[in-house]
Amino acid sequence: MSVEIKELYKAYEERDEVMQYIINGLTFTINDGEFICVLGKSGCGKSTLLNLIAGYLKPDKGSIELNGEEINGPGADRGVVFQQHALFPWRTVSKNIQFGLNMRHEKNAKEIAKKYIEMVGLQGYENKYPSGLSGGMQQRVGIARALANDPKMLLMDEPLGALDALTRDTMRREIERIWKLTGKMVVFITHSVPEAVYLADRVIILQSGQVAVDQRIELERPRNYSAPEFLAYVKQFEDVITDSALKNVMHE
Amino acid sequence: MKKSKAMVSYKTAEQRKSKRDKYYKILSLVCFFVLWEGFGRINLDKMWIEPRFLPMPSEVIRSAITYAQDGTLWTHMEISLVRVLKGYLWGVAIAIVLGSLIANFRAADNIFSPILNLFGPIPIMAFLPMFILWFGIGELSKVILIAYSTVIYMVSYVVEGIKNTDPALIRSAKSLGANPLQLFWHVKFQSAFPNIYLGIKSALGVAFGAMVVAEMMGAFTGLGYIIVFSKNWFKMSDMLMAAIMIGLLYSAIFGILTLIENLLFRWRKAASGSAIEK
Repeated sequence: MSVEIKELYKAYEERDEVMQYIINGLTFTINDGEFICVLGKSGCGKSTLLNLIAGYLKPDKGSIELNGEEINGPGADRGVVFQQHALFPWRTVSKNIQFGLNMRHEKNAKEIAKKYIEMVGLQGYENKYPSGLSGGMQQRVGIARALANDPKMLLMDEPLGALDALTRDTMRREIERIWKLTGKMVVFITHSVPEAVYLADRVIILQSGQVAVDQRIELERPRNYSAPEFLAYVKQFEDVITDSALKNVMHE
Repeated sequence: MKKSKAMVSYKTAEQRKSKRDKYYKILSLVCFFVLWEGFGRINLDKMWIEPRFLPMPSEVIRSAITYAQDGTLWTHMEISLVRVLKGYLWGVAIAIVLGSLIANFRAADNIFSPILNLFGPIPIMAFLPMFILWFGIGELSKVILIAYSTVIYMVSYVVEGIKNTDPALIRSAKSLGANPLQLFWHVKFQSAFPNIYLGIKSALGVAFGAMVVAEMMGAFTGLGYIIVFSKNWFKMSDMLMAAIMIGLLYSAIFGILTLIENLLFRWRKAASGSAIEK
């Protein structure tokens, strides 16, 4: 299983009849079971990239292939976890997790949902509505809902961005544990450098719509935030991001 | 023995207060009727206003009893109730279908919206004479008038509700494999349902208005007819009695709708409180 991104271009608008590409000739491959974190400052195109893979946006040029098949619109083979959880407020926790299964009339939806409720540690909350849950729990439901559909890959758009620092830390460990259990490909968008170094097999830094850094993280899991090797990666990535930010400021 | 004052949470105190408010509201109503009755009795003596034009609550009750005893009250009430429910329910159903089409298909929007916008602002009173000529003096023209006014009023609630579905919910449903029909029914309609239900509840008043209008022009039965009929004989208390019965019918149906609402939308109650504790 793999994802091939080839010569991808996407623009939202043109200025003086010149297309302003936010994704500007992007090419890279995601290998089977890989956890990829995409880093970059706001406006670098990381959310656009995720929306393109999810199929919410259509590329202007180039292609994205999942197992050799070109992506054309959203589909159940790519599970998405949103920053603002996007749970259905009128469905209980269990019913939210069953949504995808209900859509294809899966008979064992309830049992499957139960399995994923246990995986994300939400036993006892099956019949609660999303509005009655804390932010961290809502995000657990979002992850369980995406996984219950058994997608080929998971796309996560800053899923921890709206959480407080302590909950974020717990959730990182949870995501790492769940990823190990399921072994799925993950594309994880974040603007926290330590988060990317903690979670990723490979960190990709986007700059003006192109790959600026594509770095494998060679550290044993679970990773230690204060280990010198860990901090070296953080420093390396922060330098790239702030350096480009500085250049931009001077440019203007 | 004096009970010591126990500490209660803000929420419990607020619940107790709202219970007390209920009694105050009932007391206000009682006072209103007592004052009215009292004024009426003094008026009998002093003749500030022609007493025939200001019947007292006791006289209205007497009218109701008279009508109830010979059975005419129930007949008229039943006729009005069936009329308004028929027109209202048809109207709600048509509004939901029409609104869903307009919200989902550009073609339906282009076809129906201009027509609705053209006829929407015209008061239904203006249509009744035409409806009578088209659909006859019988039940049909009345039911159609009630249904028509319900549809005109309710469609925008349905359209707005569906169009305001959170795009993130649409995206997540698509990524969970929902097809267009499933997306509409399981996401857009469910998400619009509170707004649609608000439209259903508000349209009840419009439907009752249409019913009374229809019964006051070209009808020989129903509560609206009692009002016109009694007017011709200066029977103020009968008119008031019929008006109050219309109010009671409306409140009864509205009450049932509110009960259903509380059952349907329990998910909304999970995280609600007053905006600012006072």
